[in-house]
Amino acid sequence: MTATVEYTAAADASVDEAVARLVEEFRPRLRPQVVGTVVASCRRDLSGVPVTALPEMVERLARTRLQSVA
Amino acid sequence: MGSVDVSGVRHTLPDGRVLLDDVSFRVGEGARAALVGENGAGKTTLLRIIAGDLVPEAGTVARSGGLGVMRQFIGSVRDDTTVQRFLVDLAAPAVRAAWDAVEAAELALMETDDEPAQLAYADALAQWGDVGGYDTEVTWDTVTVAALGVPYDRCKYRELSTLSGGEQKRLALEALLRGPEQVLLLDEPDNYLDVPGKRWLEQRLGETRKTVLFVSHDRELLATVADRVVTVEGGTAWVHGGGFAGYPEARTARHERMAELRRRWDEEHQRLVDLVRTLQQQAANSPDMASRYRAMQTRLAKFEAEGPPPERPPEQEVTMRLRGGRTGVRAVVAEQLELSGLMRPFDLEVWYGDRVGVLGANGAGKSHFLRLLAGQDVAHSGAWRLGARVVPGFFAQTHAHPEWLDRTPVDLLWHGEPGRPGVDRGRAMAVLRRYGLTPVADQPFRTLSGGQQARLQVVMLELSGATLLLLDEPTDNLDVLSAEALEEALAAFDGTVLAVTHDRWFARSFDRFLVFGADGRVYESAEPVFDEARVARAR
Repeated sequence: MTATVEYTAAADASVDEAVARLVEEFRPRLRPQVVGTVVASCRRDLSGVPVTALPEMVERLARTRLQSVA
Repeated sequence: MGSVDVSGVRHTLPDGRVLLDDVSFRVGEGARAALVGENGAGKTTLLRIIAGDLVPEAGTVARSGGLGVMRQFIGSVRDDTTVQRFLVDLAAPAVRAAWDAVEAAELALMETDDEPAQLAYADALAQWGDVGGYDTEVTWDTVTVAALGVPYDRCKYRELSTLSGGEQKRLALEALLRGPEQVLLLDEPDNYLDVPGKRWLEQRLGETRKTVLFVSHDRELLATVADRVVTVEGGTAWVHGGGFAGYPEARTARHERMAELRRRWDEEHQRLVDLVRTLQQQAANSPDMASRYRAMQTRLAKFEAEGPPPERPPEQEVTMRLRGGRTGVRAVVAEQLELSGLMRPFDLEVWYGDRVGVLGANGAGKSHFLRLLAGQDVAHSGAWRLGARVVPGFFAQTHAHPEWLDRTPVDLLWHGEPGRPGVDRGRAMAVLRRYGLTPVADQPFRTLSGGQQARLQVVMLELSGATLLLLDEPTDNLDVLSAEALEEALAAFDGTVLAVTHDRWFARSFDRFLVFGADGRVYESAEPVFDEARVARAR
């Protein structure tokens, strides 16, 4: 189940773009794997959000969570 | 498909008067029912009860299929409501609630951009999607393109007050007719629409498969659209199952039947009372008759307890006496007249006794033309004059008299004005009675309904002794009966009449038509012309 969700998240182009931007933003404080995991988790938490709003919402939430640990 | 079932509804006004009692009717699936009645009979109150704005004191209202409501004030919105807010308010309650939640979450996010605020916003967006909000926005785009010719994104923050009354109405109608609600309550949907707009409305209401209950005073619209007529009168409502064409006869027949039933009840009541009296005397002399006397007393008591049938509703008494008087043969002459910037020069001769309908595009200068003839200051070139003994009397659109707002009808009649002598209270009350205005004789003008304000203006015309009536949309706010009374009064008027009107039914009672074209041309027509386009102006 988790694998399916992660696969969906990974396949989501907007999630990929968010990961790429956030990896740049948080380098070198956080490793890319950590960023990817947090973004995938945010994508799961926002699964009910309409697709048009999803990229912005995922990126914002992931940024907030990453800032709290970075 | 949807329907409305009203059953045993009762509503009492704050002053204790029963406005509606035992109101029951059904508007079935796909029906297009007109709700008619005199000004102040309770039509709007009944619509508000059906819409759920008011809770009836007794009885129930059952609705199915979702309800879309167009209120009377639409067309005269002058506050800072935006097109977006207006469309949200017309949408279903679930859509409205979801929209409000999204707005609140957005505001919270602007204040505090933390994780809880973001998740609340995400939740509100998910809710917006679940109630069909995104589909609704697509519909709104279609609606604004159809009504205003502009995509939703380009006009959503525009204030409604920048739209004309007709555009506001059109926007609301497009939204409701294209929306998912299957039952539409429309309170005077045709107000502020010009004739092409009214024809569009008739066509759309004729095509829709939705169930429609609408209030209108426009007889042409009623005749074209309504397939049944719900009448609010005498404190209750009844339904004529056919169209408006057979309605006047049906109403008369119903009133006659009610009067006949009441007469029979009164006769039977009198007979029983007489019988009781006779038996009472006989019982005093003969103890044998005592039991018959008591039996008859019981019978009378039962008869009275059942109560009489309802009285025939009182007829609204509106008697207009526009007298006029003989004037010179040429009542109005215009030579190369041009109202500055509004039209090309034109010539006109109006003869004593003519009935001239002034028609044409909105914004083409019709009202200015009447005001000029009424002696007001209107910029123009060319020449015009009134004939011998021609005294103009002007009926303005009701909002054109800010100086009357805080004065009462009696006060306005008592003081008089140039060209109209004042009259004492007794005479004023006598005249107001003929126009059904006695109950509001001492109320400020601003509190009068549109129909009452219009009737008061006709009172003033009557008292002014005018021989040339200049009427600007006189039937706009009049109920059907008052409009017919005005037509009768004009038919009996000894003088000349020029009237600006968008009322097709009223226009048929005229014999000449002066048409103000959208291209600035002013021409005469033997037949009414209603399809002149709106004058294009930079807005």
